Amino acid sequence: MAQAGAVDIVRVPDRLAFTRNRYLRALQTPRGLLGLGLVGTIVLLGILAPLLTPYSPTFQIRLQELLPPSGTHPLGTDELGRDLLSRVLNGIRVDLIVAVVAVPAAAILGCLAGLLGAAGPGWWDTTIQRAFDVILAFPAIILGIAVAAILSPGERAIVVTILLANVPIFGRLSRDALISQREREYVVAARLIGVSPVRVLFRHIFPNVVDPLIVQLALSMSLAVFLEGGMSFVGIGIQVPQPSLGNLLNEGLPYLATNVNYAVGPMLTLTALVVGLNLIADALNAGVLRR
Amino acid sequence: MAIEDLMQQRVSRRWVVKAGAAGTLFLLTGCTSAANSGAGTSSGPKKGGTLHMAQVPDIIPSGLFGQNFPNTAVGRLVYNTLTEYDHKTLKPNPSLATSWQLAGDGTSLTLELRKDVKFHSGRPFGPGDVIFSIQNIQDPKRASQLRSTAAVITDASGSGSTVKLRLSHAASNLFDLFEIMFIVDKDTLPDMLSGKNLNGTGPFVWKQWNPGDSVALTKNPSYWKPGRPYLDGVELRIIPQAQSLLSSLQAQQTELALGLAPKDYVGLKNNPAFTTQVADTGDAAYYVGCNVKVPPFDRKEVRQAVAYGVDKERILKEVFSGVGNATSIPWPKSSPAYTDTAATHYSYNPNKAKQILQSAGLTNVQAQLAFNSGSPPLSPMAQIVQFNLQQIGITTQTVSYDAAQFIQKLQAGTLPGLWVNVHGFSQLHPATLIVSAFPFNAAKNASNLNDPVYVDLANQAFRASESSAKAVYQKVTDYLLDQQFVIDSVISPGTFVSVNKFKNFTYNMFDYLDFDEAYLA
Amino acid sequence: MVQYAALRLPSALLVLVLASVVIFGILRLTPGNPAVVLAGPDANPATITSIEHDLGLDQPLPVQYLRWVQGLVTGNLGHSYVLGAPIATLIARGAGNTLELTVGAMILALLLGLTLGILGATTRNRLAQFLLMVVNTVTFAVPTFISGVVLVLVFAVTIHLLPPGGQLSLLKDPSLGIQFLILPALCLALPVSAVVARFLQTSMRQVLQEDYIRAAVAKGLKRHLILLRHALPNALPPVITVLGIQVGQLLGGAVIVEAIFAWPGLGQLILHAVLSRDYLLVQDLLMLGVLVFIVLRTAAEILQAGLDPRIRLMG
Repeated sequence: MAQAGAVDIVRVPDRLAFTRNRYLRALQTPRGLLGLGLVGTIVLLGILAPLLTPYSPTFQIRLQELLPPSGTHPLGTDELGRDLLSRVLNGIRVDLIVAVVAVPAAAILGCLAGLLGAAGPGWWDTTIQRAFDVILAFPAIILGIAVAAILSPGERAIVVTILLANVPIFGRLSRDALISQREREYVVAARLIGVSPVRVLFRHIFPNVVDPLIVQLALSMSLAVFLEGGMSFVGIGIQVPQPSLGNLLNEGLPYLATNVNYAVGPMLTLTALVVGLNLIADALNAGVLRR
Repeated sequence: MAIEDLMQQRVSRRWVVKAGAAGTLFLLTGCTSAANSGAGTSSGPKKGGTLHMAQVPDIIPSGLFGQNFPNTAVGRLVYNTLTEYDHKTLKPNPSLATSWQLAGDGTSLTLELRKDVKFHSGRPFGPGDVIFSIQNIQDPKRASQLRSTAAVITDASGSGSTVKLRLSHAASNLFDLFEIMFIVDKDTLPDMLSGKNLNGTGPFVWKQWNPGDSVALTKNPSYWKPGRPYLDGVELRIIPQAQSLLSSLQAQQTELALGLAPKDYVGLKNNPAFTTQVADTGDAAYYVGCNVKVPPFDRKEVRQAVAYGVDKERILKEVFSGVGNATSIPWPKSSPAYTDTAATHYSYNPNKAKQILQSAGLTNVQAQLAFNSGSPPLSPMAQIVQFNLQQIGITTQTVSYDAAQFIQKLQAGTLPGLWVNVHGFSQLHPATLIVSAFPFNAAKNASNLNDPVYVDLANQAFRASESSAKAVYQKVTDYLLDQQFVIDSVISPGTFVSVNKFKNFTYNMFDYLDFDEAYLA
Repeated sequence: MVQYAALRLPSALLVLVLASVVIFGILRLTPGNPAVVLAGPDANPATITSIEHDLGLDQPLPVQYLRWVQGLVTGNLGHSYVLGAPIATLIARGAGNTLELTVGAMILALLLGLTLGILGATTRNRLAQFLLMVVNTVTFAVPTFISGVVLVLVFAVTIHLLPPGGQLSLLKDPSLGIQFLILPALCLALPVSAVVARFLQTSMRQVLQEDYIRAAVAKGLKRHLILLRHALPNALPPVITVLGIQVGQLLGGAVIVEAIFAWPGLGQLILHAVLSRDYLLVQDLLMLGVLVFIVLRTAAEILQAGLDPRIRLMG
């Protein structure tokens, strides 16, 4: 068995080299490609927003409110005479920033917390796990309501909610993986031959726990988009006049009967984004974790 | 097109049909009367039937001593007041008080009460109840906006069917107090505050309140107005979403909708199946507030520039769908203080606003603009104001607070430079506004305006006699127009949409519904 | 097992106490207070002070905390500051409505999920398989606030078949009540049905490989009989397990679904309670959530310990 451990140590470097390929291969499935395509398109639309429409998302054209879609305003205008296409495209940017900033931050914090739990004394681990339990007991949107009440609604509340909802997920994932790897032969062997704990952690253990974390990252991005949408939808998220996909949908709701174009833009964009992220997570899950 | 209409009718009927025979029957009669384009068939009042009305927010029983929109649906149905204003002349008419006599320069008042009135519990009504109701409203816990007027009453005594009140000074708005003050029963006050049981003298008896769902009232068989009310009962349903409220009205499950969004109100205005009306009380005034402690709004001319820079007509059209009117003063047209010249004093003039700012040496002004996210029209209004101000060179950052936070900051005078909010209490005697409404309160207000001139004016208005009133009100208006710490923009009153068969309902000057004469035809 | 339970209880109690302190503390940190809401927009500061006194909000925080805990322990949840009604009544009503919604959603999710899952496991048509996969991916991923809006748009705004929101008790008027229930329940059910379908499809495919199914086929039993009588019952256990996990998701989803469809359940109650700073109501609701969670968890742990003697030995 000791031999098997040694083999594991030797395998680590080419396993790393091989990692990139595995992800790429997982994503080169129909599901993965479709997901990448959807998310890529939305991201591109968000980044290129200023080039795609001449209007500022907050410019109000006097007495041009609730126009139907036309050449000048492909999605029409809202109740204050603002170009809806511009608002949707700029709304994407808010969602992207929220997802790109908050989710990786949550992943890092969560991994650190998991690490602390796994490495620290038993009562410490128990305390952290209990805290995670309590947080996970509440649906994320309820956490969002509480956070918004304390911090007052806005971007900050959304980011904090995403952190709060995701840190326990990453924390538990990394802790469980660490503990299961800790007793594996290759780690024991590495420790026995005097590799420093930090090196063991980063060179040996981490590559082996990274797969579920990557899949979770994709899922958490979709959860983040959902939280932005949900919180803004019930009025405790991004505040007007700044557009976000969630608050645009909320604002368009009263006009469903008369100006359906108002809600359609944010609805399609949000759907594409969430479905795309889920497809990516699915593809990674099938390609990396199950094999 | 015709097929589509047929489809809709068939399908919507399917949805309604289960609401009971009455509902279905009505849908049919509704269609017939639609064909007749509302030709009135006046067969006179009819007895019986339960009225179904609905609104978005739930009632707050403990708030029944002031004016709060969700409570205006039920207060006057269960309770009576001493007097009731004529909406046109603002002359008080008898209700529980049959006559009254002011004496001693307006510092003493004798009220004669009705003798045949009983509370729903069966206990006879008498002077003690009036005295208790006055003391109750003097209690700051009751949060009545008319408390400062009630506080003028220093002594109350009663005998037989007479109540004598002694006042510390004459109060021009004394009958505003009598308009809002429900006569409540001392013994059941805790039950009233918790909404368990409201014991009044009014036309309907409190049956049950299911918080978040509905309020049920039944006819008071021994109401003191003979033969009234016509209705057997009233049900108020809470439908916490505008779209659902609208559709329950369209399906005729709701026969009277309260506080519809202006957009939905306008959509129904030309629909022959419904009767629509805007309250003539004109009591919701939307304004831009200035904190005069925050530069540059400590300078009067900057506030005036803001007043010129806000496109009030556009706010009226886009936020309130044209329901109401754009104005520069708090007073609605029915107020004794209203004048046309004052109302149009600050019409939209961005160039003038820019000029003022320039000559004040101000360029590139930065400020915060707060709004109360609890009230739907305030967010779009704040966005228009923000855009308007940007056009004249004031860059603002909007900050939204939920109702709890916003009001707390308003009270503490800690709102940032500018804010957008709504105030009431301008519909009656101007003194009620400047003594009672916090944005205008001369002694302490949300704007931190502390000016002996204003305090003096407020005192004059409070004590004004009928003959001196006009001149004092003009002075107050001029002062408000000059100072512009509250920049009134649009007055948009509440609306009522009812099915055609519901007739003859009215409301008092604080918008409390009055169904004494109402009936279902 | 009793010994283990005795070991577990102090830690469960500790979590409860900690949670109560956190919940109480967090709420008092939030700006704004219920007295302000009660006093209304035109009120003056004196009014607020006296309402604060009336509600006991001017007491020192530890006193307020102890009073609250005392109430909880003695089963007195108190009155809502803002609505005035007893909190027990409010929570009971809200919970009843949320239960109605989630049970409705559960039934729909099972119906939809089982149908789609069986179809997915048995169809050999490539196009049908592809379509089912698309439907599954979309219903799983699309947030309730989008599917809800689509449902309202289609069934309420466009074809006027069902009301866009509101609620009527099923007990009061079943035939009308159910019409109010369908859209929100469907909206809540969609993501769960996707999960059910996925799990059923996988587990069904495995079961269909089993020998006894082949034997049944060889015996010449009718296809649908094999599927429903033999394969389905054996494929169900993993689905039931996942459904249990999804119940928690349903409650979270209910917050948004209740907001879209104006459904007066617990989600609406907590949203409004937080926004109006109805401290006591929020505290009670959150504590109730923690309590339910801890009771279920501790019960599960104790049960497990009963079944697996090894666990008993560990702290």
